Amino acid sequence: MSPLSLELPLALVAALSGALAVTSARRAAWIALALMATAAALLEFRPSDSLSPALLLRLTAIFGATLYALPPGLLAWRALAHDLQPRRLLATLTEHPVVAVSAAAGLVLGAIPLALPIEGSSVLLRGAGVALLLIGLPPLLTSRYVEATARAAVVTLSGALLLRASILGALDLFSSIAIAAGFVALLLIGATVAGQLTKAEEQ
Amino acid sequence: MSDVLTLQALSAIRALSPLLFALLSLLVIPLVKSDLFGKKSDAHVRGGSAAVLLLLASSVAALLAGSGYASTLNVGLITVDPSEPGRLLVTLGGAVFALIVAVGQGRRAGAMGQVALFGLALIDLALAIPIGLAPIVILLVGSASLSALAAGNREDAQRARAVFRDLRTVGVLLTVIVVAELLRSAIPLSATDPAYATTSSLTAGVALTLSLVLLGMIGAFPFHHRLVRIFESLPIVGSLMVGVWIPAALSLIIFNELSLLSSSVSEPIGGAVVAALFITGTVTLLFGGVSALLHDDVGEVLGFLAVGNAGWLALGAAAIILHPSAVGPLLVALPGALVISLFGLWRISIRRHYELTSLQELSGWARRTRALGVVLICAAVSQTAVPVREFFSGGFDIAGQSGSLLITVGALLGAGTLAAAAIRLLLVGLAQESQDVHRTRKGKVLSPAAIWLVAGTILISGVAAGFINIEAAASGLLRPDPVESVPQNSTP
Repeated sequence: MSPLSLELPLALVAALSGALAVTSARRAAWIALALMATAAALLEFRPSDSLSPALLLRLTAIFGATLYALPPGLLAWRALAHDLQPRRLLATLTEHPVVAVSAAAGLVLGAIPLALPIEGSSVLLRGAGVALLLIGLPPLLTSRYVEATARAAVVTLSGALLLRASILGALDLFSSIAIAAGFVALLLIGATVAGQLTKAEEQ
Repeated sequence: MSDVLTLQALSAIRALSPLLFALLSLLVIPLVKSDLFGKKSDAHVRGGSAAVLLLLASSVAALLAGSGYASTLNVGLITVDPSEPGRLLVTLGGAVFALIVAVGQGRRAGAMGQVALFGLALIDLALAIPIGLAPIVILLVGSASLSALAAGNREDAQRARAVFRDLRTVGVLLTVIVVAELLRSAIPLSATDPAYATTSSLTAGVALTLSLVLLGMIGAFPFHHRLVRIFESLPIVGSLMVGVWIPAALSLIIFNELSLLSSSVSEPIGGAVVAALFITGTVTLLFGGVSALLHDDVGEVLGFLAVGNAGWLALGAAAIILHPSAVGPLLVALPGALVISLFGLWRISIRRHYELTSLQELSGWARRTRALGVVLICAAVSQTAVPVREFFSGGFDIAGQSGSLLITVGALLGAGTLAAAAIRLLLVGLAQESQDVHRTRKGKVLSPAAIWLVAGTILISGVAAGFINIEAAASGLLRPDPVESVPQNSTP
């Protein structure tokens, strides 16, 4: 795999969709989260000839949990096309300049060596990892909204895993299973708790 | 060929017995609650009874299967090798939670039994995997999931917020543990190039990140809010599992990692990690004890007693970094979980009997229900005696290790306030009866339920205090990871 042919676009997609996952609302946020998770998983597991079971497991876990967590009616085509207009997405990013700058800064910071054993590490993977960490950590620590916090947790964890993969390669199978379960738990618990809080506040 | 398959199946059953019982509960509990087995109005009683039997069976099975070579399961690259601490936690936890579910009864007794079964299965599984990322992730994710399961579908904002807090904590700690594993895996490579971070700095980084995960999960100060809210809002089985038992298992894993880390480097671990852990442990002990004395709600008081217990665990982490071969800190985790479980047992009994959670409204309860008085006396005695005894019997001397008189005095004061908080609960029980208590029907002293409660309590406190000496199984370190993580593309 030529780094610039696939890793660069994937790193850019991961950072951009990660930023949208924590700044957008409803449809755009969930779609961006699924896109970010896919790009990050492809960067982490680097499929060449065949798909690894760990990658399939990660993608199944993220997509399955996202489908469960999606509020009803969120995939209506017209509304989806409306919410995903590039103009609207750009407006969302300009409304949150700190997040957009964090994403760009993360990608640039990834180019700086970490003083860890990095000869074999990928600059682009490291950049995407640092970007996702910078994007996800602030809302994970401070957001008052449950679903946004769950999405931020997924973004942050994906960033940490990318950073790890840039130096040590992909996770072993057992750790992959545990991490996939972690992604599922974060999204499902987030959706369940958000529903309970909404109903409790309505009463 | 068939012999090999039979042996493989047997070792799978032995290795995964707690998990198999937990999975079995998904089938058995809904089945016994169905109309086939009796009236719909008694469904929750049947569900609770089935959960109690499954917990006891899981406990006995873990004891019989043990952690010998015949219980090791190899499936491809995955090895599940049950450990002595894991089996001990399941054996004792099964019996303790069976008693709590049986005493608590209630509409969700079956679901609470399932929470306990899955919690113990996760603990056993996590302690059966060689150290690394997976066991800690299993416990963190399991903790958040069980917290949500225990909260149930009730539209209770307070419960939902407690689960939300847990979700945020786990989200942060999962990221921290990935970073810890990254730094730990880089240590063997640090000597190959002077441009890398030094071994000392990487070791200090790993110790710091692991300690953060430990402090966050056990609910040490300033992360205590999570623990207090859990005890205040979740049902007691969920509170104990998420707030005490899973953190106890996690602390065993992290103590083990810290011990290996500390013994693998020639220089002492640098930075302020040890000092920070000593200070955090002491402040947590003091804070937990004083807050437990000042609060009125039984759930909050219990939460702060659990915070105090977390203080001992934080001191244990500091001790094990200084002395990697010390067994004292390893001995604190299990008795601590048992002592807090005794308080939990008291809380659920008293709440079921009086339906009150305020200590002011509960005054005089011990005059009317002496069995509960016995439970609390056992809990208070264990609370006072166990941690200090374990520390000293394990060869750990706070005064000598911390090197600070202030830390020693603070820790002893903290232990004193925790004991005072426990004694206060008992004094409230012996005080003048409140109107609420006076109006409650007097319980029979010699009822089968009361006898079982008292017998179970004495047994638990006997184990916690070390009179029944099976805790030694928890004193051994876990097995290290046989295959060190090697960077994919690193240059030697």
